[in-house]
Amino acid sequence: MVPLPLANLWHHKLRSSLTALGVAIGICMLVTLSGLSRGSVDEIADRWEAVDADLLVFPANASDNIAALSGGGLGEKDAQLVRQLAVAGHPAVEYVAPVYIHRGKIGSGANNIFGCAPQDLPRLTGGRRFLEGRVFDPDNNCECYLQHRIGQAGQGVLEISDEELAGNGGLEMVIDRRLARDARLKTGDKVHVLGRDFTVVGVMQEGGLARAFIPRATAQWLGELDRYTMFFVKLKDGVASQAALEALRPRRNLTGITIDQYRGMLMDMLGVMYIYTDTANAITLAVACLFILVSLYTMVIQRQREIAILKSMGARRRFILGGVLSESLIIAALGAAAGIGLSFPAAMGIEAFRPVLTVRITWGWIGVAAVSALAVGGLAAIYPAWKAMKIDVVEALTLE
Amino acid sequence: MNDNGNILLASGLHKSFGRGAGKVHVLRGLDLQVRRGEFLAVMGSSGCGKSTLLHVLGLMTAADEGSVAIDGREVTTLCESSRNEIRRRNIGFVFQRFNLIGVLSGYDNILLSLKVRGLADGRDVRGVLEAMGVWHVARRKPAQMSMGEQQRVAAARALAARPELLLADEPTGSLDSANAQALLELLVEQNRRQGQTIVMITHSESVAQAATRVVHMKDGRILDTHA
Repeated sequence: MVPLPLANLWHHKLRSSLTALGVAIGICMLVTLSGLSRGSVDEIADRWEAVDADLLVFPANASDNIAALSGGGLGEKDAQLVRQLAVAGHPAVEYVAPVYIHRGKIGSGANNIFGCAPQDLPRLTGGRRFLEGRVFDPDNNCECYLQHRIGQAGQGVLEISDEELAGNGGLEMVIDRRLARDARLKTGDKVHVLGRDFTVVGVMQEGGLARAFIPRATAQWLGELDRYTMFFVKLKDGVASQAALEALRPRRNLTGITIDQYRGMLMDMLGVMYIYTDTANAITLAVACLFILVSLYTMVIQRQREIAILKSMGARRRFILGGVLSESLIIAALGAAAGIGLSFPAAMGIEAFRPVLTVRITWGWIGVAAVSALAVGGLAAIYPAWKAMKIDVVEALTLE
Repeated sequence: MNDNGNILLASGLHKSFGRGAGKVHVLRGLDLQVRRGEFLAVMGSSGCGKSTLLHVLGLMTAADEGSVAIDGREVTTLCESSRNEIRRRNIGFVFQRFNLIGVLSGYDNILLSLKVRGLADGRDVRGVLEAMGVWHVARRKPAQMSMGEQQRVAAARALAARPELLLADEPTGSLDSANAQALLELLVEQNRRQGQTIVMITHSESVAQAATRVVHMKDGRILDTHA
């Protein structure tokens, strides 16, 4: 025998499908938006954790959150102090990779543009390989040239043309594959950013620290000479990160965190975004709930006679309630399955349309979505089921 | 259980609808006894309270006053779930407008009725449909059946659970004369062979002739009885 709830859903195929579609859209939004907000934050944190370093050192007067730090709060003297850091009387630092960070728009959005020394690029990108092209300014000509020109100028006014910078490799840029796709760039293309025309000289695998790198000397020239935004510090083998941070504490203008702590910092700053996405998800689910409620209510009203027939046979209360609840849960389950299924192409679509965005669909959120859908289905059934129980048998049986 | 051979005993039934000046007294102190195995026809003109009587006897609505005993058990004061249980165990209904569930096949309508009554296993649905001469429409939905077929499936649904009491409300009212006659023959056979107690509401003399006893109703009371 075809169970009555299934028979009813099948008989009203269009209404059932539209209701399930309403739930599916809600569930798809839940899974996709959660995957987008959390995936994007996770992807940034993953990139920073890919750096071959143990500590991040930055100005003590920077806010507690360095996720949006840029500019030059540190100097060459600070770099020397960190290089000489000692733990228990022994040198603790393997190397220091100073960077100067600018914000600039490339492709569809603003990006951190990291100025670093060409030899530091493999460390900062965790050894990501070049898919095409080469590192910017491989012989560090720009830094040498700028130092030479600064020395020449003394206290006088120093002017350096774009041609001079470009001629010494200063206006070269390396980007990652995602940014290349987003901005439709390839090796040899020009990018106008930070008021200059940079040339893309290499495209790397994604996953390393940033999406765009330029020579540090250029970044400083365009910002503040001899200044840095932060240091990535690699400790010698056997040196504990916390011990190194303790050793750093007396330097009043410096502070630091371990690379692992960056993820938490990022969450603190961008976590507020989750409130918005979770609120949007909750509203969507509430709308989906109303969808089912209205559909079931209509069903109960339309099928008063059927419910009265069941009651005239002596159907137990739980049989009738179970029928209404089953229909609701079947719609919710179908909607959830379709919504979860739809979220995968939706994620692929978002990443194809905006390659710098990341949508990570996790089993955890799939579970949350499935449970939410069933909860919504259960909630939506309460009032129609109550209405079904209240139907007057005699009155309903005489309805035309 | 001392029921003196009565499966149904109603006494002093009053039932009214509406309030104040618009209040209508439909049943006015009605008394009725139905013996086990009897085929009783209740006749009367429209509005005399026949259907209301059937609804009260079938525990689908409560009387304002009076009592109803089914199989020797006083049921007037029972709670909704207990009345439900009696409907489930003891009573079958055949309605004038069939009241089959439109989304289910004829076969599934009967199976659902058995399931509701907790009898889904061990009952011969095919046998009942064959007995009613409608096995050939078992897989059809009500909309794909003729009216006569629908009513015979509805009767099969009521009889499949073998209720002690079958209440039929104008069962031939929507049928042409041939189908009406066929259904009446089925009910008579059911009554004679199975000893099924049947209370049938009708306003047709010819239909009432199928019954073993006929009572007439007027203004909410039983007027007389004819064997």
